[in-house]
Formats: sequence, structure tokens, C-alpha cells
Amino acid sequence: MSNINCINFNNFSRYKEKATQFALGLIGTKKNPNITIKSDKANRTISWIGKNLSSAENRLILGATALMTQPFIDASNKDVDKETRKISICRTVAKIIAGTVTGYTIRKLCIKSIDAFTKLPGEIKPDMKFKKLRTLLTPNNGKCLANELAQYKNALGTIMALVVMMFTNFLIDAPLTKYLTNLFAKRGGVNNEQHR
Amino acid sequence: MNNIGKLFSKVKDLIYTKFGPNPAKMLIVTGVLGWALSSAAQVVAIVVNDKIPKEQKMFLIPQEILDGAINVASFFLVTTTLKNFASKLVSSGKIANTKIRNFLNKQNLIDANGQKLIVGKNLNIEKLPNFSEIADDYKEFKVGTDVIGMTIGSILSCNIITPVLRNKLAAKRQNQYLAQTRKTDLTTLPRVSMDAYRNISAAKFGSLKV
Repeated sequence: MSNINCINFNNFSRYKEKATQFALGLIGTKKNPNITIKSDKANRTISWIGKNLSSAENRLILGATALMTQPFIDASNKDVDKETRKISICRTVAKIIAGTVTGYTIRKLCIKSIDAFTKLPGEIKPDMKFKKLRTLLTPNNGKCLANELAQYKNALGTIMALVVMMFTNFLIDAPLTKYLTNLFAKRGGVNNEQHR
Repeated sequence: MNNIGKLFSKVKDLIYTKFGPNPAKMLIVTGVLGWALSSAAQVVAIVVNDKIPKEQKMFLIPQEILDGAINVASFFLVTTTLKNFASKLVSSGKIANTKIRNFLNKQNLIDANGQKLIVGKNLNIEKLPNFSEIADDYKEFKVGTDVIGMTIGSILSCNIITPVLRNKLAAKRQNQYLAQTRKTDLTTLPRVSMDAYRNISAAKFGSLKV
């Protein structure tokens, strides 16, 4: 049995390696098989994304791209009748807007509030309130690299936001989605009465 | 009390060491957690909703759990694959910035066994003997590329793959559910109208993403 597992695992690794090599081969041209990013602006952008893109910005990107794809996926869903399709488009758009606005705002606020209690000893100013609590969430006894500490704050803030959103999902998202769905359905002339 | 303090410090240090140098990994883990929690919230919402009859709950709860599992699996698989591929693009030198490319051009690309290392194939920049010369630039470039890969993966997973799968599953379940209710003696059950089903499915299959 262990042999079989081992063989399967080896096969899986081999296929994975082959697939990766195949995909790598698809990048670039015959003349220039390897890509060099020469533009300073492009390099600065890549570096900025690595340093600054937190889960909040990621949620915003997901929301914006969701608006560009999901309504069209719903519109082309032939498995349901025309009326259900229309109302599902309204609901999808409403849900994306409600989810993105609350998701982005809560993530940002949580990351900011984590930041307030993750100060390095040198960052505490004499006029700050709650000085003792300012290092409450600081890891590694304050021996941290700036970039890594920023990512740590993003991670902790995101975890806190996920817990908060367990509640706001029902308290804000759901009623806001319902309100927006009805608004879009009314504007779009969709009969939403039976779906209320 | 002292033990709780130690545990708290350990958790903080663990998050710092795991996610500090690797924001793409943090985005994947928190994304998976987000999907799992939102699915759990959906299940709880069904369980505590008095307006949904017990018979419907018995059908909806396992389906909701399955829905959650599909969301989590799709997100994890697609984002991890693309993030790892982005990592490989950089570590193999297939994509590089000018500083990394200049560094590679100066290297004698042969491994310890005398085997030739090919850029974009079997090369791993991090294992080159004088990697430390380029380590900071390389790390900055790689972290950014990883996050871009992860972001593309999450767009593909959340906005294309999952909605298509969800629509297919929702339509299949609608048919299954209607067939099931037709088989049951309807006089003993509270009547489930098509509108009521649509109401539930609209609330459910939308899968509120936190």
C-alpha cells in the first residue's frame, strides 16, 4: 500500500514538474525566450505591489474584476429561466458592491487598529496615549524588519477582519445586498415581487 | 496566566515568521480562512433560521457544506498553483529585472556536479554560490511577482471558476430538490413553492464572500 502511495506521489511530482516546464516554455518568444523587465516604472510597480498590497486592496481588485465577469456569467446561464437570470444578475451586482465596500472598509480599519498596538519601542512618542498597550501585538520582542512587520500587521488585521465580518456579513452585507437588489431590479424593470 | 502570555507571544512570532517575508502566502491563507468562515456563517444562518422548514434544512445544510468545500478547494488550488508558478518564473530566471539579469549573465551557470544550469529550466537563482550579491533585489522582485501571481489566481478562482461551478450546481440542485419534493407526500409537509425555493437559493448560492 505504501509502495502504491509512493509511486502515485512520485508520478504526481513528475507530472507537476512536466506541467511547470511546459508552462514555462510558453512564456517568451523563440527570439527572446527569457523576459527582462527593463522599465524602472514597471520594476517599481512590482516592488510596490509586494510591499503594499494587503488583503484590503486584494478585496478591492477582486470586487472590481468581479463586476467585469460575474454578471456576464449569470447572463449566460441557460440552466435557469429568463426571469431568474435577470434577478440573479441584479443580486450578483448588488452583492459584489455590498461585499466589496464592507470587505474593503473593515479590512482597512482592522489593519489600522492593529497598527496602533504594534509599535516598535522607538516609535512610541511621549504624547501617545496607552503607551503600555502600544507594543501589545509587536512580535519577536520588537526585533523586526520594517517590511516584514508591515506584512505581519496586514496578516493580523486581516484575521481580525475575518472575525468581524462573520457578524457584519449578516448585519450589513445581507440587508445592503437586499436593498441594492431591489433598487437595481426596479430600475431595470425586473419583476422582483416574487423573489422578495 | 504566564502560559497564556507565552502562547500569545508564540502565536505572534509564528505569524511574523510565516507571513512577514511572504505576503502572497498570507493572502492565500487568509483567503482560504475567509471562504471557510463565510461558508460556516452560511450554514449557521440556515441552522438558526426558523423560517426554513426542517425538511429543507436537512437538504440545504449538507449542500451548503459542499458549496463551501468547493469554494475553499478552488481558491486554494488555483491561487497556490499560480503563486508557485510565479515563484518558479523568477527563481528560474525566466523573468527577471535588469539587475538580476546582469547578475545571471556574469555567472558561470554550472552546478556542483558539473551539470549545466539552463535559465528558465533547471536553474534556481537562490542556490547560486554568490546569491547574496543580489539577494535584496531578488527578494523584492520575487515578493512582488508572487503577490501578482496570487492576485491573478484569486481573480480566476473567485470571479470565473467558482461562479460557473456554482451556477451549474445550483441548477442541478434545483432539479434534484423539485424531484425530491414531488416524490414526498406533500400533504404531510409544509408546501415549498418554486418562489420560496428561489428565495432560499438566491440567498444561499450567492455565497457571501467575506
